[in-house]
Amino acid sequence: MIRALDRKMLRDLRRLWPQALAIALVMAAGVATLVLGVGAYQSLSATREHYYQSNHFADAFASLTRAPLLLKRDIEAINGVAAVETRVEKVALADLPDMSEPASVLLVSLPETGRQVLNRVYLRSGRLPEPQTDEAVASVGFAKAHGLAEGGVIRVLINGRQRGIRIVGTALSPEFIYTLGPGALMPDERRFGIVWLPDTVLAPAYNLDGAFNALAVSLVRGVNPETVIASIDRLLDRYGGQGAYPRKDQQSHAFLDAELQQLQAMSRILPPIFLLVSAFLVNMTLSRLISLEREQIGLLKAMGYSSFAVVRHYGGFVTVIALGGIVIGLGAGVWLGVGLAKLYARFFSFPFLVFTRDPAVYGIAAGATYAAALFGAVNAVREVAWLSPAVAMAPPAPQHYRKLLSFMPRLHLHFRQSTVMVTRHLTHWPFRTTTSILGVALSVAILVGSLWSFGSIDHMIDITFRRSDRQDAAITFTEVRPQSALYDVRRLPGVMRAEPFRAVAVKFSNGAVERRVSLVGREHGAGLARVLDGDLRPVTLPERGVVISDSLAHLLRLRTGDMVTVSVLEGRRKTHLVPVSAIVTGFIGLTAYMDIEAMNRLLEEGPVISGTYLALDASKHDELFSTLKATPAASFISLQYIALQKFRETLAQNVNIMISVYATLAAIIAFGVVYNFARISLSEQGREMASLRVLGFTKAEISALLLGELAIVVLLAQPLGWGLGYVFAYVMTEGFRTELYRVPLVVNRNVYAWASLIVFAATAISGLIVRRRVDRLDMIEVLKTRE
Amino acid sequence: MDSGSAPVFRVSGLCKAYRTGEVEVHALRGVDFAAKAGEFIVILGPSGSGKSTFLNIIGGLDRATSGEARFRDHDLTGASEGALTRYRRDHVGFIFQFYNLVPSLTALENVRLVTEIASRPMKPEAALALVGLEDRMDHFPAQLSGGEQQRVAIARAIAKQPDVLLCDEPTGALDSTTGIRVLEALTRANAETGATTLVITHNAAIAEIADRVVHFANGTIARELKNASRKQPSEVSW
Repeated sequence: MIRALDRKMLRDLRRLWPQALAIALVMAAGVATLVLGVGAYQSLSATREHYYQSNHFADAFASLTRAPLLLKRDIEAINGVAAVETRVEKVALADLPDMSEPASVLLVSLPETGRQVLNRVYLRSGRLPEPQTDEAVASVGFAKAHGLAEGGVIRVLINGRQRGIRIVGTALSPEFIYTLGPGALMPDERRFGIVWLPDTVLAPAYNLDGAFNALAVSLVRGVNPETVIASIDRLLDRYGGQGAYPRKDQQSHAFLDAELQQLQAMSRILPPIFLLVSAFLVNMTLSRLISLEREQIGLLKAMGYSSFAVVRHYGGFVTVIALGGIVIGLGAGVWLGVGLAKLYARFFSFPFLVFTRDPAVYGIAAGATYAAALFGAVNAVREVAWLSPAVAMAPPAPQHYRKLLSFMPRLHLHFRQSTVMVTRHLTHWPFRTTTSILGVALSVAILVGSLWSFGSIDHMIDITFRRSDRQDAAITFTEVRPQSALYDVRRLPGVMRAEPFRAVAVKFSNGAVERRVSLVGREHGAGLARVLDGDLRPVTLPERGVVISDSLAHLLRLRTGDMVTVSVLEGRRKTHLVPVSAIVTGFIGLTAYMDIEAMNRLLEEGPVISGTYLALDASKHDELFSTLKATPAASFISLQYIALQKFRETLAQNVNIMISVYATLAAIIAFGVVYNFARISLSEQGREMASLRVLGFTKAEISALLLGELAIVVLLAQPLGWGLGYVFAYVMTEGFRTELYRVPLVVNRNVYAWASLIVFAATAISGLIVRRRVDRLDMIEVLKTRE
Repeated sequence: MDSGSAPVFRVSGLCKAYRTGEVEVHALRGVDFAAKAGEFIVILGPSGSGKSTFLNIIGGLDRATSGEARFRDHDLTGASEGALTRYRRDHVGFIFQFYNLVPSLTALENVRLVTEIASRPMKPEAALALVGLEDRMDHFPAQLSGGEQQRVAIARAIAKQPDVLLCDEPTGALDSTTGIRVLEALTRANAETGATTLVITHNAAIAEIADRVVHFANGTIARELKNASRKQPSEVSW
């Protein structure tokens, strides 16, 4: 048996269903953002952890020129080292039949089956290579990009000799989730892949029999990697060690970490904002809705219901709406979260996906939403429930309106009375008008806060690829070459311009903070690859000192004129104290530049270059590529247009998917807010509107009154929303900041325009719905009843 | 006022039936009625006798189920929604029991609200002066007494110089003294604008100020009575 009061609640819900649904959707959007953001991040994070553990991903890494295998025992003896794996690694050019430009592969030696201790490959298909054969396993992404089936053969330029290598399987590795070619800005699985060969084949091919040139170690739990790294560096110093580095500096890990950090930033910043905004809006909307129930509340009390029973009744009303919102939100959040996690897992080539469910997140999302709804309801009911029934049943005392600008008493006579009505209405309830403006502003703000990153990424692309790194391609040599190599490159077909560069691995330190970076030397007055200052003007590299990117400066707390310690990790491995002569703009990676001549002087190596930047004649690409494929000295050719394409595909795509989801939810919130505003205004002013209809006002004139008020609120909310949105965007750029990327805070005008347009569209649709209700106003009813 | 011209309203066989759920309610059952220009008519009758429904139909607020209602050459029974809105806007002034003023507008502004959309309005100040409120023009409804609010409503109704003034229980919410002031405003408006005036009331005492009294009962006009002489509002009491 349903009690009469519950029946009333159900009927009220049915009567108000469009508004109830709109409120529920706003709540759902708030809940969903939190659940999906946190859910996707936690699932991916757990998956990575599981993957790393099950495949024994190493804790520290090192490259060197050549060391005898016997050294392995000394490394194993270092305090804190749990396991050591030595191997041979070489970058080589590969000739693939399906592409004209040369690809590069990282050749990695593989011990006998079952002997791999660290960074174990996860065989996806086929089998591992037999020892003493030209068989190999290729990374899944590379194999897929080239349609390499088992039994397929690729030609690789190994130590100056073309060799056919037969692919017998494909594999994944926790070490190569992201694979970047030397000097490449972005991973490109088509142009750079991993090929695992038996060590019995690879070592002799590079004259590294009984030796190794790369090392991975795992550490005993709780050991500080830096102390172990220092010990490894001491051991490897004699063997051309380039400085061991911890997992956090491992390229693939760092990239993945940056991605996950961004995902986490998004889940930490946007959803709480969404949740707060939706809670605020729900609170505001419900309290207005319940204020309209004044007479009914008086009636209930007159019949003998206690104030508490009345509060409980409306609490129940709100609970049903909130439950609906929370259920929709949790459902949508879980569904979208799983979808996103799957998408990312595929993108990261995880061999499996571990879903995690954190009940705390569900609890927080549901609890915050429900509390906000209930608080709004109780607040509104309280005002009325404690009135005596007689007072509550009577209409509220007539509103005392004030004239604005009373010192100009006749001013308002210059306006139409409908304008006067709208303005007085808005100014009469300043709190309600302010909260309405704030509500709409917040929905504009979350749209701006979601949409800005599209433009920001475009800006990043524009700066990086069109103004800064303007070369068409870059060739990286296998080892440094004399300056004269530049002239050989200039003679290659299709090369219109070539500029040299010198790159060396260094460690920058300032006090306790240190970072491994690639120090790049460029020609004085280089025109292709340029360095830009804070105002995006090209910087001429000074004859003394280093120029560092703002993100590196930020990390090392350096300013122009400070001295920085630069430890060279190659060659003579000397340490220098160098002045910081300028700080430049850089969005991708930590970068440092020097004048190439100054750099060569510093390194005491004479005029050598690591590679060249090229401007190419597009019509001669094929000719150039086929020449390069046969050039043993070139280890990698990075092509700028492909880098750009990859950049868009990776960072841009990941951010875009997430942002599109958030933007959609923001649009739902915007609609819910505006629709409820319009509906409640109609309920509040329905009587007045009907009276005006009786006086001969047309439907259009009446609607203009009601919608005029809405329009003013929506218009006033725009600048405030833009401002708040900019703040949200700022908070997000700070959250997005990783050592690999820095997303510039660029909020284009079209972001504001789109945010406003979406809110205007929501307003227009709400306006149309309300207009339909205006058309059905009962004129006769208002003549008969008192307010 | 009685110019002997063609009637302003001609109503014949007017019927109105409502469906409320399963029940069909016949509010009007064949009403025949005519009113001349400038006439002051009081409509009496118990609750549910159909007088308000009748007023709503000839005021263009509601539609008849059958029969005919004409205002001059306008057919009100077959008119479109838009045509009825124009009719109300150009020809009808309404006065209600509960004043229905816009609370956010002052007395003057409430009148201007109508004059702004009317085709041949009088000056809003003049309309307020006609009801004796020239010194209360800048007050908001909440600052006026019930009688004053009703006089603002009258000013608002006559400011467009309507052809007809339709009043539904204009003194229903007022005490006798205040009610008489309102009736004085109404008769003065009737005399000075020449608007045909129909006043619905429960109060039989008011009948004496009319040219003609129409009694409604059970959805039809039970009887009509022409007053040989009209009393001044100040001469009646209740």
